[in-house]
Amino acid sequence: MGRYVVRRLLQMIPVFIGATLLIFLMVNVMGDPIAGLCGERACDPATTAQLEKEFGLDKPLWQQYLTYMGNVFTGDFGTAFNGQQVTELMATAFPVTIRLTIVAVLFEIVIGVTLGVVTGMRRGRPVDTSVLLATLVVISVPTFVTGLLLQLLLGVQWKWIKPSVSPDAALGELIVPGLVLASVSLAYVTRLTRTSIAENKRSDYVRTAVAKGLPRHRVVTRHLLRNSLIPVITFIGTDIGALMGGAIVTERIFNIHGVGYQLYQGILRHNTQTVVGFVTVLVLVFLVANLLVDLLYAVLDPRIRYA
Amino acid sequence: MLLEVRDLHVEFRTRDGVAHAVNGVSYEVDAGQTLAVLGESGSGKSVTAQAVMGILDTPPGRITGGRILFQGQDLLTIREEERRRIRGAGMAMIFQDALSALNPVLSVGDQLGEMFVVHRGMSKRDARARAVELMDRVRIPAAAQRVRDYPHQFSGGMRQRIMIAMALALEPALVIADEPTTALDVTVQAQVMDLLAELRREYRMGLILITHDLGVVADVADRIAVMYAGKIVESAPVHDIYKAPAHPYTRGLLDSIPRLDQKGRELYAIKGLPPNLTHIPPGCSFHPRCPMARDVCRTDVPPLYEAGEARGSACHFWRECLHDH
Ligand SMILES: Nc1ncnc2c1ncn2[C@@H]1O[C@H](COP(=O)(O)OP(=O)(O)OP(=O)(O)O)[C@@H](O)[C@H]1O
Ligand code: SF4
Ligand SMILES: [Mg+2]
Repeated sequence: MGRYVVRRLLQMIPVFIGATLLIFLMVNVMGDPIAGLCGERACDPATTAQLEKEFGLDKPLWQQYLTYMGNVFTGDFGTAFNGQQVTELMATAFPVTIRLTIVAVLFEIVIGVTLGVVTGMRRGRPVDTSVLLATLVVISVPTFVTGLLLQLLLGVQWKWIKPSVSPDAALGELIVPGLVLASVSLAYVTRLTRTSIAENKRSDYVRTAVAKGLPRHRVVTRHLLRNSLIPVITFIGTDIGALMGGAIVTERIFNIHGVGYQLYQGILRHNTQTVVGFVTVLVLVFLVANLLVDLLYAVLDPRIRYA
Repeated sequence: MLLEVRDLHVEFRTRDGVAHAVNGVSYEVDAGQTLAVLGESGSGKSVTAQAVMGILDTPPGRITGGRILFQGQDLLTIREEERRRIRGAGMAMIFQDALSALNPVLSVGDQLGEMFVVHRGMSKRDARARAVELMDRVRIPAAAQRVRDYPHQFSGGMRQRIMIAMALALEPALVIADEPTTALDVTVQAQVMDLLAELRREYRMGLILITHDLGVVADVADRIAVMYAGKIVESAPVHDIYKAPAHPYTRGLLDSIPRLDQKGRELYAIKGLPPNLTHIPPGCSFHPRCPMARDVCRTDVPPLYEAGEARGSACHFWRECLHDH
């Protein structure tokens, strides 16, 4: 197990370098990072030169990348052009997005798994068919449509919620945005759980459990669920990284000042340091979440042994 | 009588139509007796057993008629909760493939102990101790250590011993073993079969042994029931059948086992294939494959004729068959 973890951590290095290099290059070809700084007009040549020197933009790209990465490893993600430390932005943005992600994951677990179990146990019945149809709708309608619609209905029309989340983004305000963020994954969790339950329901070991004379609830929880939820838990674990990165649309809609919001602002203002910094952290979160999921998998399924 | 199955009918509604898997099966098992059930693949041996255990897949399966009397009680009319208490404690089943029949994510100790926790209300600790005893009983080496292991960590033979231990945990009056050695290496088949026979004698259980292996039947069974297309075609004490079969299908089965004294001779095989259960032939369902078939066989369903003491044959010409041998 220990050796496996070390190997996985080593494998992360090339993935990490590749991903950050790619985003670094993309952000740099995106356009002139100085352009946005002097208001509507173009900067005069002297200011441009000065700014370029200040941010190290006169150096070749590979050198910029190396300097940047060197700094990152000492905890310095550079300064945004407005003079704020990128780490400061992170310190305010990440807690908000993490809260939002937690709300979303809770929805996936509570609603997604429950619906999946219910439909998996009653395959082909009316409940199953209607839930299946609903998941199809949720999956095929883009998140920003679902989000805007809910905002319009619940926030503007019926005034159940505030259409825009306040800067401190308390948990209570994040319920509807969390649901929107979770929606597509929730539909997938439902379907995955349903398939897994339906498949395992007919398995030999469930039949054995019935033949042993176990009460129905014990057959379902101890034998059927234990096995069926393994792939679901894995999916949800992997999804955490994707949710945090994918929060950008939801955060825009509800004006939540989280990671997505900062990334959006960064891209809009050609703010290289912000964009690269945030993406770097997201890549790390994604990699670590994946490793944890793989380790969890071995805990849940004794047949898996990592060496 | 420990178990009496009376005129049992089971069908499966599938996309291709209604499969008549069991069509009027009757058999009985006395306490301490062993009944061997023989027949080709698809003849309804397992479905009958599943109906007795109450673990039939419903849907698509459906019991459309008959009675199953266990210790005088009709299992098809009692409440599900009562039925559940009988399962595992009164009657138990040993499945063919222990690897898929055991839960992959629970330790064998948990799965064995569960019997005592659920049916006897024991604490987890006591149940664990009983699990170790059981594993000892089926001769699994180092049981105390291995009780924490998972099914995949055992060899095929050891896994099947655990299945047997689980079935015998509460010393049920009836055990149904559905091809208990088919999935095993030839070298361990005999050991597992011997263990099962020994424990059955010791606990004085009734045993229904479903098998393809006519070799073991002679040693362990008291009676044989031969099934074809969801019916019992011959039922008799084991020695009578080996001496002279009273049904052409039984004779075909017997002739297709390799015998030492006929080494080198080509093995006999019953020609043709088992019938499609959605379209079972009229008359005697065996007639398209029967070497003795005559016109009457195509139209008249043979009843189970009394063909001797405690012996039945569903063949119009059972007398000829018996004397031809
Ligand atoms: N779950 C099911 N769904 C649909 N049809 C089934 C199901 N189980 C059994 N059947 C039908 O019942 C028939 C008899 O099956 P059964 O398992 O009793 O055969 P068997 O005599 O045990 O054969 P084998 O020696 O292969 O185990 C099958 O051929 C199939 O058509
Ligand atoms: S009844 Fe006819 S077809 Fe059927 S087994 Fe006897 S001889 Fe063969
Ligand atoms: Mg079978």
